Amino acid sequence: MGRSYNTIAFDAAKCDGCGDCMTACATAKTGSEDQTRSRIQIVGSADDGFELALCRQCGDPKCVTVCPAAALTKSTESGVIEWDAAKCVDCLLCTIGCAYASIALDAGTGHVAKCDTCDGAPACVPACPHDALTYITTARIYNEVGDWEDLFAPGLAGCQGCNTELLMRHTLRRVGPDTVLATPPGCVPGMGSVGFNGTTGTKIPVFHPLLTNTAAMLAGIKRQYKRVGREVNALAIAGDGGASDVGFQSLSGAAERNEQILFMVVDNEGYMNTGMQRSSCTPYGAWTSTTPIGKGSDGMPAQGKTQDAKNLPLIMVNHRCEYVATASTAYMEDLYDKLDKAIEASKVGFAYLHVYSPCTTGWRFPTDQNIEVARKAVETNFVMLWEYTPGAGLQFTRPVDDPLPVTEYLKAMGRFRHLSPDQISHIQGKVVENLAFVKQMVHQARA
Amino acid sequence: MTTATVETPNQTKPAKQKVILCEGNEAAALGVALARPDMVAVYPITPQSSLVEHVAKLIADGRMDADIVDAEGEHSVLSVLQGAALAGARTYTATCGPGLAFMFEPYFRTSGMRLPIVMSIVTRDGITPQSVWGGHQDAMTVREVGWVQVYCETVQEVLDTTIMAFKIAEHHDVMLPVNVCLDGNYLSYGTSRVELPDQAEVDAFMGVKDVNWHVALDPLRPMAVDPLTGGSGGKGPSTFVRYRKGQCRGMQNSLRVIEEVHEEWAQRFGRRFAPLVEEYRLDGADYAIMTLGSMTGAAKDAIDEAREAGKRVGLIKIKTFSPFPVEALLKAMNKIQALGVVDRSVGFRWNCGPMYQEMMGALYRLGRHVPSMSFIGGLAGADITVGHFHRVIEATEKLVTNPAPAEPVWLNERD
Repeated sequence: MGRSYNTIAFDAAKCDGCGDCMTACATAKTGSEDQTRSRIQIVGSADDGFELALCRQCGDPKCVTVCPAAALTKSTESGVIEWDAAKCVDCLLCTIGCAYASIALDAGTGHVAKCDTCDGAPACVPACPHDALTYITTARIYNEVGDWEDLFAPGLAGCQGCNTELLMRHTLRRVGPDTVLATPPGCVPGMGSVGFNGTTGTKIPVFHPLLTNTAAMLAGIKRQYKRVGREVNALAIAGDGGASDVGFQSLSGAAERNEQILFMVVDNEGYMNTGMQRSSCTPYGAWTSTTPIGKGSDGMPAQGKTQDAKNLPLIMVNHRCEYVATASTAYMEDLYDKLDKAIEASKVGFAYLHVYSPCTTGWRFPTDQNIEVARKAVETNFVMLWEYTPGAGLQFTRPVDDPLPVTEYLKAMGRFRHLSPDQISHIQGKVVENLAFVKQMVHQARA
Repeated sequence: MTTATVETPNQTKPAKQKVILCEGNEAAALGVALARPDMVAVYPITPQSSLVEHVAKLIADGRMDADIVDAEGEHSVLSVLQGAALAGARTYTATCGPGLAFMFEPYFRTSGMRLPIVMSIVTRDGITPQSVWGGHQDAMTVREVGWVQVYCETVQEVLDTTIMAFKIAEHHDVMLPVNVCLDGNYLSYGTSRVELPDQAEVDAFMGVKDVNWHVALDPLRPMAVDPLTGGSGGKGPSTFVRYRKGQCRGMQNSLRVIEEVHEEWAQRFGRRFAPLVEEYRLDGADYAIMTLGSMTGAAKDAIDEAREAGKRVGLIKIKTFSPFPVEALLKAMNKIQALGVVDRSVGFRWNCGPMYQEMMGALYRLGRHVPSMSFIGGLAGADITVGHFHRVIEATEKLVTNPAPAEPVWLNERD
């Protein structure tokens, strides 16, 4: 595995600007309590809160790049940007190079000074009375999960640029080997998870259910292991078509019976594996191979799907499952938090995780844009990231306060290329309406 | 109602047995309880409903230790059981008619996965025309997809066969799902005297449960279940062929196993049922009628009366319909010159009863021409009476000398 490093994280919501961290830093580094000499600086922000000026120990540090004397170097050991007094020529170019105002002249010494994390025990962190500062390991997923066993075969036959492989590897690493995996017909078995002619892509028990009966088969498996006193996870990684259309009855039935299953839907908004046909999760206006573009008849051109998508995760909320959440592969930490919660919830009852998963092939965008498209969906509120539990109700996990116009998302894909201004305004209207609907549920949960 | 005669026990060994009075659906439920499944999944449908109600009550009363899943439809009922069987459970359900039709997708697959699930079909006619009454159309419609299917004649046979079905299904030379067919209305609600086997003796009969030794979804034995096979050449099609051939071999093996299990049952419990084909008063017969299920009671009465009247007629009853017991049938057919086959369902393609259609195939192997004809009766709950069977006997008798009619004879059309 590669390396990742620790860093000091700041939670602006907890900071009241008391300055105790600056006092602690100044004391530790200069022996005086002069806050102007602190290497951590808390400054007022535009919204009457506080911001942090502190070295981020960047992976691509501009201070290092601009230094003409090679006095600044990034340690491969600790990740800290180290300053060498013997080499420094006091030109202060680094203070201009840094975008975070995190390396500055210390008037007491006449040289620049910056955070060195106090050799891994930063004085500022324990000094904060409000826990606004934490010393954390960055790339938590990379560090923790990377060492767990990858339960998929090295090569899988997904389309170029598909992020479902990423999702499958991460998910199985997390659930671990005491799991039975159901992958109903679609992209997931299409990638080789169950295998072809005697070879399999998975190192745990795996099977093709029918497209229609995933939740029911898993319920039978889980119940039998429960009956004989064995703890076995029952996991589905299913497509949106099998879940929202023909398999919906068994999904709904299992949720109503509160079967102890983790049901993950990889929503690529159509029957992508079998040729990109429309599902009930396909959004309005989208081209699919069964909602094609054409001149139509009687002056009514065919312009993609004419109905809005079914909101399957909200329907699952109305089953009052133990846990329901939406997630996106552009927000892996959020996804991981939800995966953890869903696994725990599935020990008690039905857990449902709906992961929006852009399809390079079917949505028609360049193969290096998958995560970007996923991110744009969230940044425009086309996709909302939230979670539900019976106790806490519905809560946003990554609220977007200042969403981009939906065109920023739509224009990233060929499947929306044909949209008329009317269609775009319909979609934008639905985004606003859906957001209002979910917000209402969030407010109800808080009330 | 047809008379449901209890077989005179051919007592070879005394057994501790309680005698009760119950309907066929309750008898099936009691048989299920005695077989000790781990899991039952249920969805109600007429005329099966009281069967699963009895199962639910047995579990609720602590007389049966099984997990019960009230699924949201028959499709999920069978799917839940498939999952449970792959995790090592002994499994049971019951359905009929439209429920069986809705279940067809997983039903087809059960045999291919070699899962020894036992399912009663409380037979019901097919809709439409709309009807909720008995008939064999449902079970006949699915006769060709690799389930073993046996038909019961009496309420006692329902109870005993339900238990035997688990042993047949789970036999390592079989490993196939089994349908125990009991006639809707006539057996499901027909009440009669039933001898209830002792649990300890049934346990000894059943032996050790071992249902997923061949295919499992178990983290202790990780495997990919049902990976993709087939294709135009190479390893794919040959893999598929070997699976299919194995299914067919399992079906053929079941003929022997059904006989063995019935023999063991007779030895342990003193009740002997013809496992594949019953020959009734066939010795000295010139011709015979063929029956299936509960109609056989009335047919036997008619045969007895005809014999007393000097007619040289006998009866052949099929118990095991799938796989079709060709050898046992040929043995019986060798004794007669003409045959009349009474079906409780229709075969749309051949304009005759499905059992008649199957018999035509078997008769070809006999190597000599046996005139035969098809009778269709008892549809949608209609009673096939002794009087009807006398008409069947008379028409069949004429086949010995006269040409066979091309059309089937429809009983209950005007009576």
